[in-house]
Amino acid sequence: MNRTGIVYTETVVHLAPERFAADVPYQVIIARLDGGGSVTARVDGERVSIDDRVIEVEPRDGIPYFARSQQL
Amino acid sequence: MSVFRPVAIVGAGKTPFGAFPDQDLRALAVTAGEKALGNANIGPKPVDSFYLGNFAGPEFTGQNHLAPYISTALGMAGIPSTRFEAACASSGAAFFQAFMGVASGIYDVVMVVGVEKMTSQATARVTEILSEAGDCATEVKAGSTFPSLFGMIARRHMHDFGTTRAQLSAVAVKNHENGALNPDAQMRKVITLDQAMNARPIAEPLNLYDCSLISDGAAAVVLCAADRAREFNSRPVKVLGVAQASDWVALDQKPDITTFAAVRSAAKKAYAMAGLGPKDIQFAELHDCFTIAEIVAMEDLGFVERGRGGVFSAEGGTRRDGAMPINASGGLKSKGHPVGATGVGQICDLVQQIRCEAGERQLKRHSVGLAQNLGGSGATCVVTILGEF
Repeated sequence: MNRTGIVYTETVVHLAPERFAADVPYQVIIARLDGGGSVTARVDGERVSIDDRVIEVEPRDGIPYFARSQQL
Repeated sequence: MSVFRPVAIVGAGKTPFGAFPDQDLRALAVTAGEKALGNANIGPKPVDSFYLGNFAGPEFTGQNHLAPYISTALGMAGIPSTRFEAACASSGAAFFQAFMGVASGIYDVVMVVGVEKMTSQATARVTEILSEAGDCATEVKAGSTFPSLFGMIARRHMHDFGTTRAQLSAVAVKNHENGALNPDAQMRKVITLDQAMNARPIAEPLNLYDCSLISDGAAAVVLCAADRAREFNSRPVKVLGVAQASDWVALDQKPDITTFAAVRSAAKKAYAMAGLGPKDIQFAELHDCFTIAEIVAMEDLGFVERGRGGVFSAEGGTRRDGAMPINASGGLKSKGHPVGATGVGQICDLVQQIRCEAGERQLKRHSVGLAQNLGGSGATCVVTILGEF
């Protein structure tokens, strides 16, 4: 059931609001999902680039996380 | 064929933009309002209605119900006084409503004030308050900040059009160069391309010099029916066109983030109202909350082809001596960005150029100017075109 998609754009945040200050630097992406639609999510693990395939992993604190997809 | 009355600006005034610990929100707004009234050679009495643009006064200062709080202090007790909130386009939206109040024939004379008091909060808190102009249930919850939303726009623009780090920095260098000549600017400092390219990262690919400032400030204008303009001031400026448009608040709902539908739509309507096109605009004040925003705006307004904004900037096309001078005031980048004041502040900058009162920054061609005020990551846009009376 894990959502999959492709990285449409990305950024690495270095200056965050107080509640995320402990997380910096962290990567945020907009993923275009294979089933249609888009999601703004955090990245788990290695940094991703535009056009990389990503798969959803376990959310944390209600925040969706995606990781680089291992299958090519 | 116009069905509305022509409208003129007969008074304009603003505070300097910067950090002013001794002036609260109302003091700033009243200072700007009184300057605009003085500039129109009137007192508060002729003003029929009061429009306030303010994004987050209650959160920055703890005070709400701001429009009558300010208009009464300006001596306008009794008249309708309403606050408009549209993120960083709050006072552009207030200006649009004020214009319609006069154009419709309901009012003869109205005042618009934009104000924001931001520096009483720490940067992390300011970032948090600003992020509430995004979609809090999705993008903000995931950790997006405004720099990060525009960072993602910049990244995609680079990917799609080959826009470079140096081209983004060319925008910052140019705006600092202009702002250094502006006595009312917050950061009157020339920067080098090298400095601009190598500042500390904020939200990649954007660094400190790609981002506008945290500011206090206010700006105000007096509008009136054009047929009465000569009663107030010898230097009226005509509102040739003004339009507002909207789009999704969440960046991820936009099919293409390298262009803003709301900007294109507002521009199309403002151009149509003015009977003008991009080629007729002689100079512009664009909403450079981030360097990439100026590049995208010049493309969406039709000043350059899509994807060419970076190249045009790096080639000097937007400098004061370029083919299309942009942000001769220094822009939000150098002049400062008290968010609720920015839209009317841009209009004051156009008025100053059209009246030939811009001093060292005065442009050679200054008869027709355009202001583009953006809210959030493109959810609101107001485009205003002003010209000689």
